[in-house]
Amino acid sequence: MKKVLTIARKEFSSCFHSWLGVLMATLFFLVSGIFFVILVLNYAKISANPQQYGLSNFAGIDQTHYVFGSFFSNLSIMLLFLVPILTMRSFAEEKRQETLELLFTYPLSDFEIVAGKQLGILWFFEALVLPLLGYLAVFRWIGGEFDWGPVLLGFLGFWLLGSAYLAAGVFISSLTQSPIISALGTFSILLVFWIFDWVDDVATGPWAHIFSELSPLAHYKNFTLGILDVQDVVFFCFFFFYFLFLTMRSIETRNWKS
Amino acid sequence: MNNPDFSSLIQFENVSKKYGSFRALHDVSFDVKEGEIVGFLGPNGAGKTTAMRILSGFFPPSSGRVWVQGIDISKHPQKAKRAIGYLPETVSLYPDMRVIEYLRFVAKLKGVPAHELRGHVRSKMSFCGLLDSGHRLIGRLSKGYRQRVGLAQALVADPPVLVLDEPTTGLDPSQIKEIRELIRALGQNRAVIFSTHILPEISMLCSRVLMINQGEILASGTVPELASCLKDREAIHIKIKDEKDQARALKILNKIPGIEALKVAQDIRGETFISLETSPEQDLRPLIMKLFVEQGVSLAEIQRLQLTLEDIFLGLLKDGKSGRRFS
Repeated sequence: MKKVLTIARKEFSSCFHSWLGVLMATLFFLVSGIFFVILVLNYAKISANPQQYGLSNFAGIDQTHYVFGSFFSNLSIMLLFLVPILTMRSFAEEKRQETLELLFTYPLSDFEIVAGKQLGILWFFEALVLPLLGYLAVFRWIGGEFDWGPVLLGFLGFWLLGSAYLAAGVFISSLTQSPIISALGTFSILLVFWIFDWVDDVATGPWAHIFSELSPLAHYKNFTLGILDVQDVVFFCFFFFYFLFLTMRSIETRNWKS
Repeated sequence: MNNPDFSSLIQFENVSKKYGSFRALHDVSFDVKEGEIVGFLGPNGAGKTTAMRILSGFFPPSSGRVWVQGIDISKHPQKAKRAIGYLPETVSLYPDMRVIEYLRFVAKLKGVPAHELRGHVRSKMSFCGLLDSGHRLIGRLSKGYRQRVGLAQALVADPPVLVLDEPTTGLDPSQIKEIRELIRALGQNRAVIFSTHILPEISMLCSRVLMINQGEILASGTVPELASCLKDREAIHIKIKDEKDQARALKILNKIPGIEALKVAQDIRGETFISLETSPEQDLRPLIMKLFVEQGVSLAEIQRLQLTLEDIFLGLLKDGKSGRRFS
């Protein structure tokens, strides 16, 4: 476990060593801030004159749902771009620079290497998500009101979704020696999972249902609506550990190929 | 031999490695004891790096067994890896880490206890002459310094077995000298195995040489032992002043029985250089001199040479290809 933490710490700090990590963090705060401000301003505009927007009863619009529900939905789109860039270096870069060779000769198990890398990236992702709590304070300060339950569920869902995506990204990164290909591959696979969510809208039948159930976004939607379903949590855990397992297998192939 | 021999730190038993259908190592067996520095010698693609990668635990052999300190590396890879320090051929380190940060990272991974960590890393840095560069980024270091960091990471946790893959390539002469000194010092209480292209390096440092070619061990032994394998050969070098005499000289030499591998090279100053191999039982120098003087060839120099390791190596390679084996 100590070795897992050592690798995780190294991964985490290497995110700050490169400009890429800092740039990604800046962009993430910038764009999520813009989303938030737009939603709040929209809400304020509607609340000033509900009739103009075809709403007879203003009390019907829930602040928590309108602002934070949409906020978390928007954030999930950002993950499509954020995750490929966060994960592209994890294994691909080490393969390209051949630093992985040395890592394999240290007294470490494959699990310790994969878990350490995964954990380090997760920490960086959490470091991006935590400051978003500041938006809650801002919202309170400008006079908004929200329910803690749905908002915290939104954060939990976003964290689960991000972790699952990151596991997929780390797996793709372990397949290639090129960070660019890793990023493109991760982006494509996340896009495919995103599209799965639409299948239910355009097709019917059991297959369509299976596809839409496989989409992380379908499970994430419940969290943004403030619904906690154990099925969704189980889905994300399965998604995460399945890709962790695939990464371990992919690392092991160095023993077979030759 | 089915049980590990505990007196050897490294033991290879019938190790083979295949990459697809390509045979990188075939039935290789050897052992290295404490206090030995063993040189791996062989042309490119001979299987040196493959053998070292197997030993370092990077990948397992296709068949055969490897013991390190009596530990079977395929059964207890983590335990065995703890006993090994490995310097790969291309020293690839994290360019965005600082030297001291990187070495501490390695020390933690190798299980150096937290309270010893600082002192331990410091002692390795001072051994490799890195004390002044601790806070430099690895990516900005020169090749020689990166090699030192590579050596330092191999030394972290004091492994009894050191595996160094071409530790002196790409270094300038003074750095090569320093690294050699370090290896010599390290070899005193460890088992060191290293590969090189530079032949004099082997006779300078190694207590034993392993020559491999095409995945097989061609010869193994001390430098004098290997030289005695080639006792039936000797080189004679001849220099001729006037290049017009070259054809005549060659005609004479071709008539003398027992001369092999006749080679001619033009010297820069217009002198002709001829090398040949003979058996040492009969010294051909007086005969050659006599014939040359009789025919009026302008002989400038004639020299009988002791075989260098280079000659031994090339000779063994040639013999190995023609099916002759040494033990």
